[in-house]
Amino acid sequence: MRFALSALPLGFLLLFAAAPVARLLAEGWGTAEPGFWGLWADAYLRGRVLWSLAQAGLSAALCVLLGLPLAWVFARFEFAGRALALRALMLPFVVPTLVAAMGVLALFGPRGVLGIDGSDTPWLLVYGNVFFNLCLVVRAGVDALDQVSASRVAAARTLGATPWRAFWRVEWPAVRPWLASAACLAFLYCLSGFGLALVLGGQRWATAEVEIYTLVAHELALGQAGVLALWMLLLNGAVALAYAAIEQRLAVPARADRLPRRAARGMGERAAVAAALALLGAVAAAPLLAIVWRAAPALADGSAWRVLGEPATQLALGNTLRFTVLALALALPMGVLHAVSAQALRGWGVVWRAAAFLPFVVSPVTVAFGLLLLYPEWTASLPLLVAAYALIAYPFIAKALAAALDAVPPHLAQAAATLGASPWRVFWRVTLPQVWPALRRGTAFAAATMLGEFAVSLFLSRPEWLTLTTLIHQRLGRPGESNLQAALVLAGLLMALALLVFVLIEGRARPRPDPADHARTA
Amino acid sequence: MQRRCLLAAALIASAGLAAAQAPLRVIAHDSFELPAPLLAQFEREAGVKLQLIKGGDAGEVLNRLILTRAKPIADVAFGIDNALLPRAEQAGVFDAYDGPAAKRPAAAPLGAGVVPVDLGYVALNVDKAWFAGKGLALPASLDDLAKPAYKNLLVVQHPGTSSPGQAFLQATIAGLGEAQAFEWWAKMRANGVKVAKGWSEAYYTDFTRNGGTRPIVVSYASSPAAEVFFSKTPLTESPTANLFLRGSVYRQVEGVALVKGGNPALRQAAGQFIEFLRSAPVQQALQTSMWMYPAEPGTPRAELLRRHAAEPARFDNPPTEPAGDTLRAWQDRWVRTVLR
Repeated sequence: MRFALSALPLGFLLLFAAAPVARLLAEGWGTAEPGFWGLWADAYLRGRVLWSLAQAGLSAALCVLLGLPLAWVFARFEFAGRALALRALMLPFVVPTLVAAMGVLALFGPRGVLGIDGSDTPWLLVYGNVFFNLCLVVRAGVDALDQVSASRVAAARTLGATPWRAFWRVEWPAVRPWLASAACLAFLYCLSGFGLALVLGGQRWATAEVEIYTLVAHELALGQAGVLALWMLLLNGAVALAYAAIEQRLAVPARADRLPRRAARGMGERAAVAAALALLGAVAAAPLLAIVWRAAPALADGSAWRVLGEPATQLALGNTLRFTVLALALALPMGVLHAVSAQALRGWGVVWRAAAFLPFVVSPVTVAFGLLLLYPEWTASLPLLVAAYALIAYPFIAKALAAALDAVPPHLAQAAATLGASPWRVFWRVTLPQVWPALRRGTAFAAATMLGEFAVSLFLSRPEWLTLTTLIHQRLGRPGESNLQAALVLAGLLMALALLVFVLIEGRARPRPDPADHARTA
Repeated sequence: MQRRCLLAAALIASAGLAAAQAPLRVIAHDSFELPAPLLAQFEREAGVKLQLIKGGDAGEVLNRLILTRAKPIADVAFGIDNALLPRAEQAGVFDAYDGPAAKRPAAAPLGAGVVPVDLGYVALNVDKAWFAGKGLALPASLDDLAKPAYKNLLVVQHPGTSSPGQAFLQATIAGLGEAQAFEWWAKMRANGVKVAKGWSEAYYTDFTRNGGTRPIVVSYASSPAAEVFFSKTPLTESPTANLFLRGSVYRQVEGVALVKGGNPALRQAAGQFIEFLRSAPVQQALQTSMWMYPAEPGTPRAELLRRHAAEPARFDNPPTEPAGDTLRAWQDRWVRTVLR
């Protein structure tokens, strides 16, 4: 029964993620110039892999460094706009990578609003990474700090500990595993990211994922690409496994004695809140505002509305929504089955949990070309496109639900079973209502991500399947002022759409998150 | 129940119909664009449905065709140019076409069996307002560009990731000679040449016209006309201009070909599509939809191209198309000279 539950998602992952990668590797195998170990002897390729690791490590470290104080301010103080700021924090994550990259370029590019040209430096990519992943650490930190025992902090303070010492000796040990998990996830996203690295890395700071793209799509050096892809798969896989292991140990029931939030008092505390909000604005909001700022002239003179009314935009909008809905219909049941079976498979659970990351871990280019080789008769067919989209949505759903299932106290289900409920009935009536918010959040993330999906639409596209991201890409591929303006307006539309989807699916923010609904969903 | 049966019957019937009428699969690069009524007219006249697959840039399209040789993903391929053709021929992905369009002379030749459809020129574009504002004379040769007065003014694309970048590299080698070309590149490195990943990055983030810092960009000879066409306000003069220097202009000839192993039942329709691309309406329309010059001799030039983007008198292509190994060697040498 346990294995039967995992059969469907396993089949899905094998068919649409593992098999294409294996197929492409097989195509280039034997022609590999550097060979499996030779990669480390090739200074150029070695440099790419090491830079990928370095930028991911640096970004993850920065996220923790900036995110922890932010989380502390959000967890301990009550202030106007707190709930809103926590919600807005998720915006970067739902913004399509292409749009985010445009925003970062609008700030720090050659014609940046700030007048600082960061292009051709490694900082552009690192900033982009932090912009994207900071929310993971902050949300995890806030939820973790909420779990800190109020009585233990109070005891420490009564015994004469300074606030700093109380944080260090009581709060920090409780928060550490959560941060480790969030940092792991941020590291994984930075390591496996493609869209952001493609646009922001430029020529000199391209990551291994971008190198794989170049090798496959432009140079057809499948051997080299295969060796590189395999190494990245191993590295990413190791990180995913570590994440899954930490995550599984985090299954703690919610605490009853939470520290109450209070208004900031005195200059120091007020300054801390102000500094936190300013930091948030500089890292998370600025790129988004920059896009709006640059699209503003088009909005002011009315040409933006013309772009929105064009048949191509309508077609792209319709397709984007259609593919998202279709892919969700496939990804939802698969993701749910994955999470449920990960819960049921005790010993192999960690590996199976880590397998939920497979779609992140494999390079989208490798998958796209592998699919082409594997199912040539399905090229440019709707089922294949939907499957490729669903692959992107999959990890969000599987992971969100798996984390939520961990936090469900087992005795409720046991009680229901004792009273004669069938396993299906127990799931439907007892477990599902408890994990519902997490499932909604995971679905919201999945949907928002698919709206902005770039890699797959770039590879498996037919003109009548134009999506918003491909339209932006097309507009940026032609000279002329109106094309650039149109691209910016479309980016704004995509941003608004992502936000709308998020609000529609996830619903209104609750002042205090459910214990089951913690930030591990992201 | 009865309704369900009817539905099933209708589904089976439509599936049967679809099987009998497989669409003509055309793979093309992302820039392929023709007015929809023209394509609809072709479908009506040829009695076949078109399935257009956009497969990335021309190089990516060819790579897909090579990868899927055993079970081709298209019946016709459009957009393979003279630079890519040697690789396509070596890989044997095309069948020769010998219909009327193949026998008619074209404005520029392409390999046997591949029918030229249009041509374009990779060339330097300059931001006119920038040069006027600075009171700086335009460079008269590539050597000028390496002088201190023109430091940090040029942005080019990486030949490994961008076809205009590759074309421009070939133009410098053909125009200056291999040894001098790489000497020039070394001087340009010292003089602050910027390398962008692809055309969009160079044009939209580095070119001063769009707020960047470089007033000279590697683009296409037709770009100034497109600037007028896509301007937000009506223009009488293009804000950009071509700078045709010796060693900086590369002629690209794009063609259409039959994909080897394509659906045999659709060979005739595939031939019709090739003829269609060389027909007068398409040759007229492609000038302002794909911003290329027509390959059919005697086709009148679009007004916009005539006024803002006249064809260059000379260009610098290598005498014969270089083989893949040569290109690879040039590219490696370029990377060592300019980047590493």
